[in-house]
Amino acid sequence: MSNALTGTGPLLRATLRFDGRSFVPWILIATALSASSVLVYPWVFPTQQDRLGLALAIGSNPALGLIFGPAYDLSTDDGFNAWRSLALGGFLAALGSIFTVTRSSRGQEDSGQAELLASGVLGRSSRLLAGVGLALIGSVALGGVAGVVTSWCGGGWNASLLLGATFAATGWMFAAVAAVTAQLGSDARTANSLAVGTFGALFLLRGFLYSVEAPDWTSWINPLSWMTETRPASGNHWWPLVPAMALTLVLLGIAFLLQSRRDFGQGAIVPGPGPARGRVGTPWSLAVRLNRAPLLTWAVAFMMIGVVFGFFSRSFKDILSGDSAAASVLASGAATPDGLAPAFLVTILSLVGILAAIPGVQILQKVRIEELAGRLEPVLAAAVPRSRYFTANVMLALATPTIYLLLAGAAITALASGDLGIDAGKVLLQAVVTVPAVWTATAVSVAVVGARPQVVIASWAGVFISFVLTLLGPTFRLWDWVLAISPFWHVPNVSVDDGGWSGLAGISAVTAVFLLIGFTGFRRRDLDG
Amino acid sequence: MSAELAISVQGLEKAFGRFQALNGLNLQVQRGQVHGFLGPNGAGKSTTIRVLLGLLKADGGDLHVLGKDPWREAVPLHRRLAYVPGDVALWPGMTGGEAIDLLGSLRGGLDEGRRAELIQRFELDPAKRGRQYSKGNRQKVAIVAALASDVELLILDEPTSGLDPLMENVFQEVIGEAKQRGATVLLSSHILAEVETLADRVSIIRDGRIVEEGTLAELRGHTTAAVHATLERNPQPGQLTAFGDVHLDGGKLTAVVESARVGEAMAALTPFGITSLTVEPPSLESLFLRLYDDDTPSTRARP
Repeated sequence: MSNALTGTGPLLRATLRFDGRSFVPWILIATALSASSVLVYPWVFPTQQDRLGLALAIGSNPALGLIFGPAYDLSTDDGFNAWRSLALGGFLAALGSIFTVTRSSRGQEDSGQAELLASGVLGRSSRLLAGVGLALIGSVALGGVAGVVTSWCGGGWNASLLLGATFAATGWMFAAVAAVTAQLGSDARTANSLAVGTFGALFLLRGFLYSVEAPDWTSWINPLSWMTETRPASGNHWWPLVPAMALTLVLLGIAFLLQSRRDFGQGAIVPGPGPARGRVGTPWSLAVRLNRAPLLTWAVAFMMIGVVFGFFSRSFKDILSGDSAAASVLASGAATPDGLAPAFLVTILSLVGILAAIPGVQILQKVRIEELAGRLEPVLAAAVPRSRYFTANVMLALATPTIYLLLAGAAITALASGDLGIDAGKVLLQAVVTVPAVWTATAVSVAVVGARPQVVIASWAGVFISFVLTLLGPTFRLWDWVLAISPFWHVPNVSVDDGGWSGLAGISAVTAVFLLIGFTGFRRRDLDG
Repeated sequence: MSAELAISVQGLEKAFGRFQALNGLNLQVQRGQVHGFLGPNGAGKSTTIRVLLGLLKADGGDLHVLGKDPWREAVPLHRRLAYVPGDVALWPGMTGGEAIDLLGSLRGGLDEGRRAELIQRFELDPAKRGRQYSKGNRQKVAIVAALASDVELLILDEPTSGLDPLMENVFQEVIGEAKQRGATVLLSSHILAEVETLADRVSIIRDGRIVEEGTLAELRGHTTAAVHATLERNPQPGQLTAFGDVHLDGGKLTAVVESARVGEAMAALTPFGITSLTVEPPSLESLFLRLYDDDTPSTRARP
């Protein structure tokens, strides 16, 4: 072992023990993604005819191809899994790797932890190698667990393991990319942004090239396309993993070379000075400022969600043909064939609404993060009433999901109102009446963060319950009183009935109670941190 | 009463679960004075300050800050005070200048001239992001933010931790100027020297209660001076009642004497013919160490 690598072994063991668990959620989500495909597909699309319908629907929908890539063979469970999970599983592995490498290299330099380590008996390259090692091991674990569990759940061994191997290979390549960007950026945030940006650009490029059916050679300029070219379940090619290994090694070589040439704490990209004067001067502008980056990211995401769901809704007749489980979820509540389209619209907008509640909950959780980081204390020690600080954040948490839902609703209206046979005005109105249910789901987090922040995880309850009951409720034919726990169950179907507004009044009353609990609690409790 | 007292606390109680953090704490701070608030780590200094700011709710006791109840009248109170936390956390993506302006405008505006002057005197670069500042520089951001506005009361929780000695000097000047403007300062610290140069009065906290309180002179009165003398004639043991810890070795006497009784002790020595004499000045350090020391009972008899 050369001098530059002294101490890597013990450091890697310690990193695995203390930082290893941060990889576990990525492993769990990727495994759930892949295993659920082979579990759910035979149940939702049981016959070859259903599957043919799905293939047609996907083929006519370029937006789906942009995200998931091409669907080579949807006639088998493994083929469906390959289409649904390959891109997203790789995405999860890449993010897990990037964050791991950045945290244990550049992130440690930011926090000062690295200084403690580097001043010990430790080679110059050991810290980076330990971080990269953790990401490489984590990626292999992610791919291995996902592949094996998918096989147990009914997937074919060869296809499932190859799919898992593409996850691992994607994780490897982007561990190496992150190792390079950690040398370029001067702080963890810049390093992460560079690596995630690289991934995002390659991801969209892959989807775009497959959607426009670009010439074959274009597959070879994009490392992510190599993963698609393994074609699990429709060819099972293992050899594209070889260039992925090679790329990983080359990038790691560059990363270690860069690292050996730079000073501790410095990077190629020197952060420029920021403004010496501030314009943020109220709790409201502070809340907007602190949530700015995620709010913009989510806005882009909801425009894409609107487009994907809009295209999806265009082909709803193909999807709902036959007696599939998908039909029972998506068109639950439709008594007649004419009622299918409106019922479908209600479900689609409810799903968008549930997704839109997620950024709302995150804004409330940010309040708790600020409190625990000790940054709320100086704000409340200024002349800011607690109620005013909380109001600003709650308003933002209720306003942003509203905007996102209406944004996505507008996209769905523009793309699909004709095919659904529903007036554009009615489609938009349906989006509007979904808003109170989003507020109820978000208001749960207001109550939790305001009154019982120790169980901050419970702030997800509104979103989680709504999601489970809206998606699983109809297929399990649960009783109405159970389904009625989800606020989205009370959203009226504006195309069918005009008298269903009492439900909205009911859930708005519940929202008011949650808000009251949150505000009262936040005013009365001690500040932590 | 509240006309003279900026801070008045009687019998303050605060528990976190089963841990009793404050145990009948009393604290009086006169208007226009710098009041040192000393105590070892974990004694309850920060908890007291958070209660004074209305960030924590008192379990019991009577407290007024600038004549107001900090829990119920937090906002009108906070317009008139500024606070520097002991461990300053800044927003990672926000520059120091932005943070100063944010905190200033949340308090209701700051003095532009003083802001510029303080930034210059503390040699702070306001265009750096929060995540790029060192601990000392984060501390400077909070100090500038607090001192740039014209307030009646400054509450400073270990404000100089992380500052270099030059900056500590600047800090002491700045606090002196604030005092001249008529501001009241509550200065918490576990460093004696800092408080010694600035404070008019001092309260020492241990285990959630005040164990000593008074002016520095009064506190010195509680300490003992060390006496070394060479005498021509040996005194009898009964003749040295003013001294403690008496050691006689030939004509050489070493002993301690309470600061208040130094005169009396000298008078008692004179008849024995003093040929040389040193009296080491009473040090607060000795009192401080004694009060911090766990073996010493914290409830010391007071005059």
